[in-house]
Amino acid sequence: MTIVEYFSFLPFGKNAFYIWLSYSVVLIVIAILFIRTKSIHKSVMSQLNVKYSRES
Amino acid sequence: MWKWIQAFASPQNFYLTSKKIIPWLLYPCIALCVIGIYGALFVVPPDYQQGETYRIMFIHVPSASMSMFVYFVMAVASGIGLIWQIKLANVVAKVSAPIGASFTFLALVTGAVWGKPMWGTWWVWDARLTSELILLFLYLAYMSLGNAFDNPKTASKASSVLAIVGLINLPIIKYSVEWWNTLHQGASISTIEKISKPAIDGSMIWPLLVMFLAFGLMYAALMLMRARDEMLIREQNSRWVKAVIMGEQL
Repeated sequence: MTIVEYFSFLPFGKNAFYIWLSYSVVLIVIAILFIRTKSIHKSVMSQLNVKYSRES
Repeated sequence: MWKWIQAFASPQNFYLTSKKIIPWLLYPCIALCVIGIYGALFVVPPDYQQGETYRIMFIHVPSASMSMFVYFVMAVASGIGLIWQIKLANVVAKVSAPIGASFTFLALVTGAVWGKPMWGTWWVWDARLTSELILLFLYLAYMSLGNAFDNPKTASKASSVLAIVGLINLPIIKYSVEWWNTLHQGASISTIEKISKPAIDGSMIWPLLVMFLAFGLMYAALMLMRARDEMLIREQNSRWVKAVIMGEQL
């Protein structure tokens, strides 16, 4: 049993593997982009907070 | 107009304005993504030749066109940064690169996953696929060149030149399916004649347009979110940044 046949229980049958694989890759990459953006924001804020609280 | 641009492009004004704009981009983007993906997967009918697999198009085509659009924005911003020394332009160019690289990666991966059932292969060295891969390498080169210098001014100068030179690749990608005999199919809705008479049926086209809009808004939101933080770092020695940070802490 190939991986394509294994996933054929999903909607779209014999094409299910390809369709769901591409949609999940897109979802994962976009999620990573947003999570990374958030983590950059957090680190910038804490970095600047430390800088200014040391100065004052 | 020029005055307005200058006022908006000032780091402080940009920070405050972008903060207001971001939610207006983000929430419509999420709504459009949900509508577009639902339409693409469950509403539109299967294609008469490709069956169900053509549903990959609804994410593949917007990713591919965004990969080129973001590069265009990046190169234009680099040019503006080089010529007029506008800080905001350099920041926009820098933060666009990882977003554009992600879209390019998605275009390549979804294309490969679509290619396997339709062409029988994940990859061919076809003109369209190869030029898109070169676009990914251009993004990666731009990002590593930008990180290769300690001085941010030198870094943005060097990477700006690279971005502008790499602009030559965009028409090559766009017209590759016309100039060469490619395995990749031609465009369905690109030219003016084709907008009035697209090579895709009306009932199938609407999720594609929704996804175009959603990806466009997504780029704008991500770019502003990252540009805002990059601006804070670059301007950390000016008084307004201190006021913003200390104000947020209170």
